[in-house]
Amino acid sequence: MTIRTARPDRGQHFRPRIHCIKKLEAIVVEMQDLKSGVKGSEQKLNVTKIPHVITGQDIITWIASKMKIETEEAHVFGTMLVAYGYIYPLQNHKKLVMCNDTSLYRFQVKLNTCFLIPAYTIYLAKRNIRKKGMLEPYEQVHYNHLHEWLNHKWDFIVMQATEQYKAGKERMKPDCVVFDCQERAYWIVNRPPRRTHSAMDCGPERLIDPSADENIFYQQAIMRSKVKSSVSLGALVKYVTNYKNHDAFLAPCLPSNPWQTDNDAYWTLNMRRVDVPTKMRVERWSFSLFELLTDLRGRDDFKIFLKKEFSGENLAFWEAAEELKWGTASSMSTKAETIFKTFLAPGAPRWINIDGRTMGLTVKGLDHPHRYVLEAAQTHVFLLMKKDTFFRYLKSPVYKDIQKKALNPEPHNFSPAQLEQNALTRSLGIHPIILWQQEEEEKAKAAAASAPVDVKAMMSKIDRKK
Amino acid sequence: MPLVNNKVGDDCTVGTDKVLVDGKALVDSLIKVVACYRHLASCVGGCTDSLQLRDELRQTREKAQKLSVSICQHLTSHLRDKSLPEEQRKEMELLWVAFSSSLELLHIDMCKVFNMGDIFSPANTAALVQTGLQGGGSEVAARALSLPDLNEAQTPTPADGLESQERNTMEKEISQIDHMIDDMEMKVNVLRWMVEPHGPQYADPLSSTDSASLALLSVDEEQPGHQPLCQRSRIFVLLLLFAVVLLAATLSVCVVFFS
Repeated sequence: MTIRTARPDRGQHFRPRIHCIKKLEAIVVEMQDLKSGVKGSEQKLNVTKIPHVITGQDIITWIASKMKIETEEAHVFGTMLVAYGYIYPLQNHKKLVMCNDTSLYRFQVKLNTCFLIPAYTIYLAKRNIRKKGMLEPYEQVHYNHLHEWLNHKWDFIVMQATEQYKAGKERMKPDCVVFDCQERAYWIVNRPPRRTHSAMDCGPERLIDPSADENIFYQQAIMRSKVKSSVSLGALVKYVTNYKNHDAFLAPCLPSNPWQTDNDAYWTLNMRRVDVPTKMRVERWSFSLFELLTDLRGRDDFKIFLKKEFSGENLAFWEAAEELKWGTASSMSTKAETIFKTFLAPGAPRWINIDGRTMGLTVKGLDHPHRYVLEAAQTHVFLLMKKDTFFRYLKSPVYKDIQKKALNPEPHNFSPAQLEQNALTRSLGIHPIILWQQEEEEKAKAAAASAPVDVKAMMSKIDRKK
Repeated sequence: MPLVNNKVGDDCTVGTDKVLVDGKALVDSLIKVVACYRHLASCVGGCTDSLQLRDELRQTREKAQKLSVSICQHLTSHLRDKSLPEEQRKEMELLWVAFSSSLELLHIDMCKVFNMGDIFSPANTAALVQTGLQGGGSEVAARALSLPDLNEAQTPTPADGLESQERNTMEKEISQIDHMIDDMEMKVNVLRWMVEPHGPQYADPLSSTDSASLALLSVDEEQPGHQPLCQRSRIFVLLLLFAVVLLAATLSVCVVFFS
């Protein structure tokens, strides 16, 4: 608990109706005007008289005439004044309403400042002194709760309450009464007992919750699945052990880091369509299906394997879904059509085997295709590949073959003179347009190769051969 | 007659006892001043707000400042002294907690008066809220300053520049208290959850030498439905008593007459 709780107006950290409060204040000021305001009178209490008392009826009539509204509306307005604490009732002090009769009310100075918890405790302690231990039940509950919570300050609270009580007695008797009534009214507005409405609307039973967003945020935070740190740290360790030799910062890259030695052998050896990949690259493919698929050379290898197994449709579907996700918006509907015809329609040439529920969802989504309509199906297919095909691939002769064939370049060992030479003879590398043309050619070849076999052309060819 | 020296105690414990007693006295008086300041501050903006009230507020505030500065020095120096025995340290920490809470309350009240002073000016009496208070806070201020009676003769003359000067002083004092609170937290590390209070849970209901105001308030708190009933029942009881007295008188007259 810091001392800073006293500092700037942090209590009531939302002020929902501050502009309406300003207007209210203007009306209250007018109400008090000696000439044109509400007529005050005196309250008789046993032997004394206390001035500045107004009746509910007078207030309501004044409001109705001043604001030119009906009596019911004025009544409601009056109740609002009481709920905010500008006027407090002298009888029936627990119900903060205005009654259209001769019940008495009085003004008080309304403070828009925060109310500290110790201040409330001191008030309760004082009330306890005055009523000789007979607090209201809700006050008693609060008192006991605060005794637990503010236990370390309890001496101070008791002493301060006694001192305030004694100081209060120094005043004139009627002033004592007024002061006590005021304080009581203040705390009823700011800490209302049960079933008393108050315009302050704070606390756990409030009606309007402007910090509902905050609430939702915390609820979601609670509902998020949490991982134990032992588990997450274990995963992190495993990751680091796997990848530490592949990280160019932590381990020397073979043959040499082009940025350091100006020799781009590393890049040429690891290009997209190289025939023989490097050993490090092949090792990386074995880490996870994700690595295999993201490296396009690895994807090609995987495709070769799948062709042999005659189960290439999964990967084709996955690739098509990726294209849909990352492609242009204009081509989305056509792509979705082709994907549906090729992979999802019953009896399609490359029908993928996904469970009924996902299939249903996807087909329904394809009515109004958007970028992520195939997300569920794609994830399902990916998991199928990961759990089944991937491990078979790693044990397959295709992979073992390529592992054997993979290059392991010798690390370069340049002398400073050679380094300087390298720096002078830096090549520009391959032009991107050439690379792009190459890609297009390859794509065309692949499309022609995987196009569904035209039976008629085949038949006619065979016929011609005959 | 041989001189009997009753003060056989250890010198240093006597010293620290005195320190504790001093500290306690200072903190008690600060609590009293803060309570009185609170009472005075509640009058601001009401119909008894006046230059005199503001003046009394200022005086009480100054006294509170002086007290708090001296307590701060006293407690800080003793709590930073590592050689303090354990029970003394506990007592000191209790005083510390009481002091910091009083400062918080004082800070709030001062801010309240500062803000209210913005809105309500004692010169403009028409705009003051009719709160029903009649007396000023002079008696309370007298209690705060421990003076038997405030000098009524000194009516403060309202100078034009006085209000803004007053506000500047007030701002400075508020920031001074801020700094004091910060300093305190920095210099001494008191673990509030380790502090155990001595006192009772409920403040002692004071023996009511003041039953009249209690009666006033208890009447005030009763439900309005009861009031006419009360009056009616009171009249009934009075009538009954009167009748009984009359009966007794006639009976005694008869007895005297017939005997």
